[in-house]
Amino acid sequence: MGKTRYGIVLFVLLLLPPIRLGMESIMIVHMLIQLPLLILAGWLTGDVVVRKFYDVWDRWNGNGIPGIILVFFITLFWMFPRTLDEALTYNSMEFLKFISLPFVGLLLRGSWEKLHTLGKTFIYLNYLSMFGLFAWLYIDSPIQICNNYLETQQKVLGWGMLFITVLMILSIIHYVFTDHSKENVT
Amino acid sequence: MRKNWRNKVAILLSVFAGLLLLYIGTDGFRAFTAESARTYQLMKEKPVFPEVTLEDSNNRIYPFSDFEGKYVMLTFIYTACADVCPKLGMNLAEVYEQVPSEFIGENIVFLSISFDPKRDDPATLDKYRTYFGSDGETWRMARIPDQTELDRLLEEFGVIVIPDDYGNFTHNSAFYLVDKNGVLQEVMDYTKIDKAADTVISMVEEEAGD
Repeated sequence: MGKTRYGIVLFVLLLLPPIRLGMESIMIVHMLIQLPLLILAGWLTGDVVVRKFYDVWDRWNGNGIPGIILVFFITLFWMFPRTLDEALTYNSMEFLKFISLPFVGLLLRGSWEKLHTLGKTFIYLNYLSMFGLFAWLYIDSPIQICNNYLETQQKVLGWGMLFITVLMILSIIHYVFTDHSKENVT
Repeated sequence: MRKNWRNKVAILLSVFAGLLLLYIGTDGFRAFTAESARTYQLMKEKPVFPEVTLEDSNNRIYPFSDFEGKYVMLTFIYTACADVCPKLGMNLAEVYEQVPSEFIGENIVFLSISFDPKRDDPATLDKYRTYFGSDGETWRMARIPDQTELDRLLEEFGVIVIPDDYGNFTHNSAFYLVDKNGVLQEVMDYTKIDKAADTVISMVEEEAGD
């Protein structure tokens, strides 16, 4: 139950106006800290929900694929410059953000572990290329792509995404060169 | 088997829901940035130019409705701007050059509107206009002294202006073509000079032909 409580506390903290507005005033914090924390909040509370509706969940999301597909689309949606911009301009988008991203966390909780190794690898590589692509877009764009953020801020975000891409590549290399023979392969 | 069946339906549903989210969120894969969404929205809504009072580089004060009966090609600028605005002005000058001279002043007027009324007084605008070969008559430069009126116009035309700490502004830029009834007809990419000129000329010619 501890995890659930942390999840709820985290969500409420993120909702507090000073924290929320502070985070959103800096583009990289908005996308690479606030959004992932919202997902984390959903992930932490996910346990309880998944357990409570275990039957339904298992019947419809038995192999985790439907859940992970939704995760993919919703996160892709939130990487667009436009959605980030509109979350600041329209209350409805801001509302959608605070609903959809914890939902992503919940879906992740109930789907990731059900995926086979192949599925996990596919998703991992998919995100790797997505971060790389968006890093390139944000760094290389000669014009300001968000109306609410300055061009320098979008460059910072791009470098942040490149950093994540590099970390993801390093962790693959790390995985390849370490011993996994004692683990169960599914 | 039954379990499998449900799972497959769920996969289809989630793909569908995901694509729908992206489709709606980007106006049918047309607009991935707020700026392209803004242009798309403006062309659909076609807002009317709100009633504002202009003060131009010749110290003349008049309402925007004075241009009624003529097309107005306009942009938003501020004279202290070092990056986009000079480019915007230069490109507008090229469009101005391309429009056949018999239409200039008769069927169409060019107008650069400053959104920095504090600094851009008539004298400043008068100096600024000479950099681009504007004659102050068929291509006017003006400010809107009333901040409320200015804000309303920027809001209507979707111009977002963010002041920074150094007295500059970050703003989105485009060419706007308003028809003789004050209705916004086109929002054009200010970097595509020839395309903008073609659009303007064909609109004005059509009008003059009637």
